Amino acid sequence: MSDALPTKPTMVTISINGKEVQAKPGTILVEAAAQAGIEIPIFCYEPRLGPPIGACRMCLVEVEGMRGLQTACSTPVAPDMVVHTNNEAAATAQDGVLELLLANHPLDCPVCDKGGECPLQDRTFKFGPGETRFVEPKRHFPKPLDLSTEVAIDRERCIACFRCIRFSQDVSEDGQLGFQERGAGTEVATFSGEPYESRFSGNIIDLCPVGALTSIPYRFVSRPWDVQNAPSVCGLCPVGCNTELTMREGETKRTTGRPNPNMTVEEGWLCDKGRWGYPAAWSADRILRPLVRDANGTMVETSLEAAVDAAARLIAASSATQILVGAASTVEDGFLAQELAAVLPNAAASRLGFPDSADLEPLRALPRAELSDIDTAGAVAVVGGDVTNRHPIVELRLRKLVRNRGALAMVGPRTSPLDARATFGARTAPGQLSSGLAVLAAALEGASAPLIIWDEADLANEPAAAAELARIATAAGARQIELAVDVNGRGLRALGLPCQTAPVAAGALVAVNADPLESPGAMAWADAIDGVGAIIAVATHRSAITERADVVLPTLMHHEVEGVLVSTTGRAQRLRPGSRGPREAAAAWELLIALSHRTGTPLPFRTPAQAFAAVAAARPPFAGLSYSVVGDEGAPTTHVAQSSAPQRSTDAVGDGIALVVTTEIFGDAVSWRSDALVSRRTPAHLVLAPQQAATLGLVQDQRARVSSPFGTCILPVVVDAQAPEGAAFVAMGPPASGTSALLAGEQVPVNVMIEVAE
Amino acid sequence: MSIQATLKGFGVTFKAMLTKPETIGYPEHKTPVHPRFRGRHRLWRYENGLEKCVGCSLCAAACPSDCIRVVAEENHPDERVSAGERFARIYEINMSRCIFCGYCEIACPFDAITLENEYELSEYDRPRDLIYTKSQLLMPHPKSVPNRTPEAANG
Repeated sequence: MSDALPTKPTMVTISINGKEVQAKPGTILVEAAAQAGIEIPIFCYEPRLGPPIGACRMCLVEVEGMRGLQTACSTPVAPDMVVHTNNEAAATAQDGVLELLLANHPLDCPVCDKGGECPLQDRTFKFGPGETRFVEPKRHFPKPLDLSTEVAIDRERCIACFRCIRFSQDVSEDGQLGFQERGAGTEVATFSGEPYESRFSGNIIDLCPVGALTSIPYRFVSRPWDVQNAPSVCGLCPVGCNTELTMREGETKRTTGRPNPNMTVEEGWLCDKGRWGYPAAWSADRILRPLVRDANGTMVETSLEAAVDAAARLIAASSATQILVGAASTVEDGFLAQELAAVLPNAAASRLGFPDSADLEPLRALPRAELSDIDTAGAVAVVGGDVTNRHPIVELRLRKLVRNRGALAMVGPRTSPLDARATFGARTAPGQLSSGLAVLAAALEGASAPLIIWDEADLANEPAAAAELARIATAAGARQIELAVDVNGRGLRALGLPCQTAPVAAGALVAVNADPLESPGAMAWADAIDGVGAIIAVATHRSAITERADVVLPTLMHHEVEGVLVSTTGRAQRLRPGSRGPREAAAAWELLIALSHRTGTPLPFRTPAQAFAAVAAARPPFAGLSYSVVGDEGAPTTHVAQSSAPQRSTDAVGDGIALVVTTEIFGDAVSWRSDALVSRRTPAHLVLAPQQAATLGLVQDQRARVSSPFGTCILPVVVDAQAPEGAAFVAMGPPASGTSALLAGEQVPVNVMIEVAE
Repeated sequence: MSIQATLKGFGVTFKAMLTKPETIGYPEHKTPVHPRFRGRHRLWRYENGLEKCVGCSLCAAACPSDCIRVVAEENHPDERVSAGERFARIYEINMSRCIFCGYCEIACPFDAITLENEYELSEYDRPRDLIYTKSQLLMPHPKSVPNRTPEAANG
């Protein structure tokens, strides 16, 4: 029987410019030519934006037997096709298209930010006319206009390639951008004339093949030949998007997606926080000089040498030392903290962040998936979490899944813009995730390559749901992606750093990028901090702990250091410095090594690469990894079951209504420090459903006193008709908002009392 | 070796003794230079006072000794500095590194920078005196050098 059916050829052979090229059936001509090393000029073609549209006509080629010229970006290969990309007909057409594109182009390359890295310039040099025959006056628009607070549009330069519009319509699906007017008057604009507001608006700058869309924070800052680019990783959320840092004169001036995107992780897209978070390095509260408390108790600026010496003396003088590593610290920082604790007498290292939980082990033991696996899954179930705000790039993947006709199931207490796109959805009451899981089993049943995406915090607080989800996923043969809470929580956990949930009464506390006074459990720490003999804060910005510290050592931010972060899917990825950082600051790894030398117990490491090699040798999750193995694209770590993970208490504490912790994408410390994101910042606030607010006697913008058994804070009220009843949604805001007082260090579920604040 | 050859040699010597010497009493007198001599740089303004330079950094890109530093900024509509959208907030030439090749002049799309004739650029302090700032470059050099006009060159 099967012999009678024509078999689909696995490869087709075509001829491009007389060269035989093998390509898979369905390959687009542009791709097939690129594989053979033949460049066909393109502007609008961008496979990440969906099917080709052939808008710019730049890729015209001659295909023998087909009438007229064909757009190579939208023509798939066919057996025995004979293609000419550079014969007279094709070359004349390409030349002609460029001449017409340039007819109305202002050619103001010297003042254009794209100049020097502009596809239109490059293609014109390679394929275009040397001179123009167009002598008539060019089209003029007022320029530049602000499309949003971060993106400027220069409509004269636009070649109407549709890329930005396709991004807005088909990738971020905000649907705001479109073309207005016709012919030479065509312009990109929002339909209503309002500013373009999207969490992903910066990507249209990367996509624009001309200088029509430019970044306002980067406006006229530097030119491509003035800069060095470093491939790095964003350290602002656990997704770990691959970025490229543009450095000029020792400072990061821009963050963009990589020119060769990491298709496994972020596909080249960045959220606006990742793109415009770097100016936080210049915020007013950045610590630029080391500080040491003198005999009168005042903080005095000193040299880094003197400050490290002072810190080492304090450590040597104390009976016990606790090294506390922040949740966004690199793997090397965590490891060196452990090593330093091992050589110091009576010392211990721990991490701040979300606690370990044995209940999550069944979920973590399921086969892991990468974010790219979302694209090809038949069904994806998202349990808990808030990808839109906490793992923004995952939202783009989920939107793509739905466009690819995969089923999306959303279960959890928080509302999401993805709800409208979900095939199955259940908004569950806080603590009632299990009630929504029944829907999931049906959604995953029988789907091809099913996936579950689960939130670490939500499921750790509901062990029954975690067990049930693991059972459903196993039955469906689903793989899993964890939505981690902390930036490098996964990496620090893999090192075996225990989570510090309760205050310590050590003689000396070394806080490395960690502020226990502005983290969950802050109130308990506030009571205990006076009992700590000496505080050494290794920090980038001023915070509560640096105000209390005896020695403050300025350190570097993620875009200024070398190191490894482990992403939410368990990929180890390298940070590379795109900035030298403040003159008197040093990387945390360097300070930890320096402290080891000054305390007379030197560690045998001089570089983070050496430290990481030691990590790979000593910690099984990192076995086989090194800086060269991790490379530019990252490499997966191995999940090793934690035998010692503690059982957490998960009973809700306190009276009143259930507290659901939320995070706004632009509500964190970086957004509040970056002057590029001034218009996007959101403060801490309390979201209530209308009925709930009415019962409590609260109206929009009124101030409410929220009290948990651990602490109290006062927050403005936002009444949201979309919010589910029966819960208080607290958007945490930047660290200094005081919202962390509501939570225990264990981050157990909490009920809160809400009243009108006087 | 004949006496003839010796006389011929002395003949050249005596003839040279009778011609006017080429030596110029520098620094009291200066060697005139050719019009296209490449000396100290000069930045230019339009007649309305706006700077021609828009801070595009093309000169810095063309510079083989990497001695030009340009930091651009956006023009403020009330206080325009240059004729374009942007202007050079910082324009520095490190004269101790410049090799006077003139590529910056060739690269400039606005004829904003030219190489003038002044060659007396010695200073006592390299970082303090030999990094020329934009305001220095916008001014004519205080010392001027005579130009070797075609007539002067011929006669």
